[in-house]
Amino acid sequence: MTVVGAFCVSVNREVCINSRMPGKCATCAEVCPHGVYALDAYTGEMRIRNYNACVGCRICAEFCPEDAIRINPAESEYLSRYPWTLATVEEIHYKAQTGEYLLRGFGTQQPTPHFDTITVVPSQIASPEPRDKYREECDLEVVIGEGTCEKPLHLKLPFVWPAMSFGALSKEAKMALAIGAAQTGIATNTGEGGLVDEEMWLARGYLDKDFTKKEWEPGGYLIIQWSTGRWGVSTDYVNSGDAVEVKIGQGAKPGMGGHLLGTKVTEEIARVRGIPVGSDALSPCRYYDVQTLEDMKHMVDFLRDVTNYQFPILFKLGPSRPYDDVAACIELGADAISIDGLVGGTGCSPDIVTQGVGIPTIACLPPAVQALKDSGVHRKVKLIALGGIRNGLDAFKAMAMGADAVGFGSAAEIAMGCRVCYACQKGNCPYGITSQKPEMRARLDPIEVGQRLANFIHACAEEVKILTMLSGHNGISELSTEDLRAMDMTTAALTGLKLAGYDRPLSFWEEGYKPVAVKANDN
Amino acid sequence: MTVINAKAKDLKTISSKLKESLNEDPIEVKNASHLHGLVAGLKHGEVIIQGNAGDYFGVLNAGATIRVTGDVGNYTADNMTSGTIIVEGNAGYGAGQYCYDGTVIIYGDAGDFTATMNKGATIIVVGNVGDETGTYMLDGDLIVVGDAGENFANFLIRGNVYIGGKWNSLGHNTRVEELTHEDIEKLSGYFQTYDIKADPAEFTKIVAASEKPFYK
Ligand SMILES: Cc1cc2nc3c(=O)[nH]c(=O)nc-3n(C[C@H](O)[C@H](O)[C@H](O)COP(=O)(O)O)c2cc1C
Ligand code: SF4
Ligand code: SF4
Repeated sequence: MTVVGAFCVSVNREVCINSRMPGKCATCAEVCPHGVYALDAYTGEMRIRNYNACVGCRICAEFCPEDAIRINPAESEYLSRYPWTLATVEEIHYKAQTGEYLLRGFGTQQPTPHFDTITVVPSQIASPEPRDKYREECDLEVVIGEGTCEKPLHLKLPFVWPAMSFGALSKEAKMALAIGAAQTGIATNTGEGGLVDEEMWLARGYLDKDFTKKEWEPGGYLIIQWSTGRWGVSTDYVNSGDAVEVKIGQGAKPGMGGHLLGTKVTEEIARVRGIPVGSDALSPCRYYDVQTLEDMKHMVDFLRDVTNYQFPILFKLGPSRPYDDVAACIELGADAISIDGLVGGTGCSPDIVTQGVGIPTIACLPPAVQALKDSGVHRKVKLIALGGIRNGLDAFKAMAMGADAVGFGSAAEIAMGCRVCYACQKGNCPYGITSQKPEMRARLDPIEVGQRLANFIHACAEEVKILTMLSGHNGISELSTEDLRAMDMTTAALTGLKLAGYDRPLSFWEEGYKPVAVKANDN
Repeated sequence: MTVINAKAKDLKTISSKLKESLNEDPIEVKNASHLHGLVAGLKHGEVIIQGNAGDYFGVLNAGATIRVTGDVGNYTADNMTSGTIIVEGNAGYGAGQYCYDGTVIIYGDAGDFTATMNKGATIIVVGNVGDETGTYMLDGDLIVVGDAGENFANFLIRGNVYIGGKWNSLGHNTRVEELTHEDIEKLSGYFQTYDIKADPAEFTKIVAASEKPFYK
């Protein structure tokens, strides 16, 4: 963990209840996911036992009844001790003691090339005039599956909740995402852990399983994920949503499967996943029932057939060789392709994989878009950008780079209350988001949190609108790379965007992205 | 009996014909070996395929009884949740993968990775099976009357594996266990139902050595 040693905890002893009355309060020790505080069982006094383990999430400060805690960043060891920072030293000690590698939740921790070094080009006199946000329309709708299936998705806004499985998330969090989608007309996704029944009606805006009580307008969509572990998958499962997404990989652990430990397979999870209570739920890294692209093509065929040719078929990719991977998905007949960058979040992955594997989100987009263009299907087969999208600004930039929509995974967790403690894998999430424990889950009210998610989406939609209109466009489908400039050489080199000031792409990008054919076993 | 001739027809056409005719039991389909994913996701009905069938035959079956008189391709009965699939000939790679329930019976031989990630179905192969059969099985019964290849029942997590013949090598996390009286009764029940000539008492039972093979 690169954040070890990066934060200082300070407790104001004058207001701290425990300092005044030892044994009376132990809130910080109870909520800290990293064991920073410890209660002396004998005296009842609170001690800071594990000062360096603090990750700066400020969960303790939020829960402290007296607001007695402050967390301040420590001086960066990246400057003074690199590469032998405290975090590296601690990590080596941990491995030497346990023989185990580090596992953690959430996403990347180190600075990674991302959207921040890209700027938006506004419209002035030489380009189409800016649009008036209050008076003029701005089209944000995205349609997936037009002309290829009977029931295309009409997303009211260019956003989705990406796949987050029941098992990684609590049932209440899954319900909240569905409610948030229903209120904003976007799509939620089952993830690979099977279907929480409530998602079926909540996502469409209904309170009941008979679809009689419509509570939320306009109603959203439910995407059904089809993956390598095939948890809780049946004919009914694939027909219970509005689209089927074939998962190939994800940004935080591309090339790897998933593993829900047997200890987390509670009765409810076992029922939803269709496996014995307490058994390990291992999602293989690849499909055991696919050996060739031809097989995958047949898989798409039977998925269309089993769903009576009604639903769009989506693909989800990790960040590997975006040009070739996207081209393969187009070949397979995808109606939309999600590509999740290195920055993408997770419920649990090995630290080195979350941190060190895959292509940054911004560098995935140009080759992915080129593959769509080369097949003549850009903006027909929809591209959904995932991985580190935080707001309408990131969303706008991804769409100007050629995506049709974006997904908010980690940002959705934060909108639900998460404070980014990176300890999702422990299953003790203090906000009941990534925990299966009844006492934690009780803290998450799906309706209240669903409203927070909807608020977040509405705010981001307004941001996208502002940016679209100030750059002179009537809708997101008009956006292009001309609306962006790279602010440094690295970004210009990674993305092919024009360098600000120079107003041209770097010379080696002058002819655009040129695919290099991947050869099998090419060393 | 409805007879559907699939010659030169595509999956969508044959599949919609099948669904239309579903109540007139049973339906016969012929010349269908070029179709992959045939008879997918049906909840009831009886279908007989004359001759061979392609890949993903009976995928997501949810209650239908399906019989093939010839051979089948790869991934037969993939992800079945209920029903019965009977193959009179041989099966290719990966028959009975990801099944939750129901019965798959193959009278001929089956290839590698048969019954991978079986989560509760009964999978019977009367002939021999290839390598890695029963990998990551989570529940259910796998019965091989003939012999098995390498890494038999590799990383077995739960469920029962029975074999009448020999295996080349056993996979990780496996343990040979004595047949119980219940095992013998169960096996003779299957053998009677499916008309298999074998002596249950001669079978070897393999179970998971540990229910948590991956972490301490
Ligand atoms: C808690 C959690 C669970 C996830 N579960 C799945 C999953 O089941 N299937 C999948 O394809 N991706 C899964 N993902 C990845 C997300 O779908 C998405 O790709 C990622 O969160 C996007 O990056 P972001 O978090 O930076 O927005 C999960 C992510 C999180 C945070
Ligand atoms: S709760 Fe978070 S901020 Fe507080 S001490 Fe623990 S790790 Fe640090
Ligand atoms: S979801 Fe919960 S456990 Fe995970 S990082 Fe956020 S607060 Fe921590």
